[in-house]
Amino acid sequence: MDEKFDCIIVGAGVAGLAAAMTLAKNNMKFLLIEKGEFPGSKNVSGGVLWGSDLNKLVPNYWEEEDGGWDRFINHRRLTFMDEQSSFSVDFKSSHFNEAPYTGVVVLRSKFDKWLAGKVEEAIAESDFAMDSFVAPNILVEEVLEEDGKVVGIRTGEDKFYADSVILAEGVNNLLTRQVGLQDKYVPADHMLTGVKEIIRFDQDVLENRFQLNGRSGMSNEFVGAATNGVEGGGFLYTNKDTISIGLVLGLKDLREKEQTPYDILNHFKKHPAVADMIRGGEVVEYSAHVVSSGDKRVMPEKLYKAGLMVCGEAANLLMNAGKAIQGMDYAMRSGILAAEAITKAKEKEDYSEASMKAYQDALEDSYVMKDINNFQDAVHLLHDPFMVDKMPNLICDFGRNFFSIKNEPTKKARNMFSDSVKKHASYWDLVKIGAKGAKAL
Amino acid sequence: MKLLTLPERLGLVSYRNQAKSEIKPHIKVETDICNSTCPHHCTTYVCPANCYTKDENGKVHFQVEDCIECGTCMYACDQGAVSWEFPDPEIGRGVTWNFG
Repeated sequence: MDEKFDCIIVGAGVAGLAAAMTLAKNNMKFLLIEKGEFPGSKNVSGGVLWGSDLNKLVPNYWEEEDGGWDRFINHRRLTFMDEQSSFSVDFKSSHFNEAPYTGVVVLRSKFDKWLAGKVEEAIAESDFAMDSFVAPNILVEEVLEEDGKVVGIRTGEDKFYADSVILAEGVNNLLTRQVGLQDKYVPADHMLTGVKEIIRFDQDVLENRFQLNGRSGMSNEFVGAATNGVEGGGFLYTNKDTISIGLVLGLKDLREKEQTPYDILNHFKKHPAVADMIRGGEVVEYSAHVVSSGDKRVMPEKLYKAGLMVCGEAANLLMNAGKAIQGMDYAMRSGILAAEAITKAKEKEDYSEASMKAYQDALEDSYVMKDINNFQDAVHLLHDPFMVDKMPNLICDFGRNFFSIKNEPTKKARNMFSDSVKKHASYWDLVKIGAKGAKAL
Repeated sequence: MKLLTLPERLGLVSYRNQAKSEIKPHIKVETDICNSTCPHHCTTYVCPANCYTKDENGKVHFQVEDCIECGTCMYACDQGAVSWEFPDPEIGRGVTWNFG
């Protein structure tokens, strides 16, 4: 492989695969490098892939009998917890039953491998069927630069050259740091650690327990006692015959509160509401991974330099603003936009910094950066200590009173709420959080 | 359902090059820093695979064999003691997720 590629993509996760698929369809010659044994083998996510961009990459993907995804989401639930109770906002609608779906649950080891297979098919149909590659088991150690422009990569003794490089290396973005687009040391302040278990059930048991029908699925997020006082939250997603259950925990808060993530995960699993959902299941995998918070303070300001672009979580493109944890969809869109910018750069034969900037401009113009910019206040609000502790406690306290039927005169709901507020917080707290919430959402 | 201990959980992880006795560690920890100036020893509790442990004298030790490449220690250590790389596919350890 002495010849030069149009593009080398580092990392075959969602961002790298989306970029590769777009390049293959645009008849570009590229090399997609993955350090794991196969695409997806090193990747962990919650995870729901939100939105419908997957349909752009693999049209009518749902028609395939055994596609890479597990279930589509038509049932959402947000649960506030104290130690004994759970109070949920629950929404289910047949509106979400028709393809193209607006969210599919995926397991990355399966999904990324499947998507990589689709990329291979697209390569085979391109002009570079014999010259573009998906190459696993290779660790990129260095991005090569000459005269201020990125010209390729080095792995061990081997060097590969290209007009452009896309870094889609994930949140632990060592190469992005190496080329100077991210600080060498990224502090814990706006980062989270995710821990997760895959729990297997008989498929019938799973479908009956979670009221699933065919390939429908549920997503459930948790706030409050789930995290044992540490900033963050919990999640539960239904896969085909397993569930993904876990926590994301603020790393700085975890450090300050001197807690261990796996003990908090057991605390979460012991909660009466959760214990009833997971009873009889068998844990088949335990995993962990660092996650970005969506706080712009941790994101690289510049996502490009001459001959180089940064995509997906390597650019910290991930956000939880209370509605959903979005990351894989941002990765997908950013990969597509980077590949489109490189296709244009090739037409103009211009891989300069100014030409690469078109990628970041397109990203800023897309829903990805518009949402991240618009919902910064919501991200900060979610990480407010009030949301971890006082808010779920007062909601559950109110729920307990409201739903308790005793043979004695009942207070009006307004007065019950007032009692719960006084017990766990103050009206001033509520006014403050209400004002923040109104601004944020 | 029965709650798993951490060793039981790590027993479910597929590690690479598990048959090789000699591996090249992908993380280097200057435990001299942990054991002299570090005020919190946070890696000994934030690491999801408990690769960092304290002995009976309170000294921090590190082993890479159980590492699941999550990255937590790289951010949590604010003392400059952790040098973090990805494992070499041939001579490193690290994980292959079955579900992910």
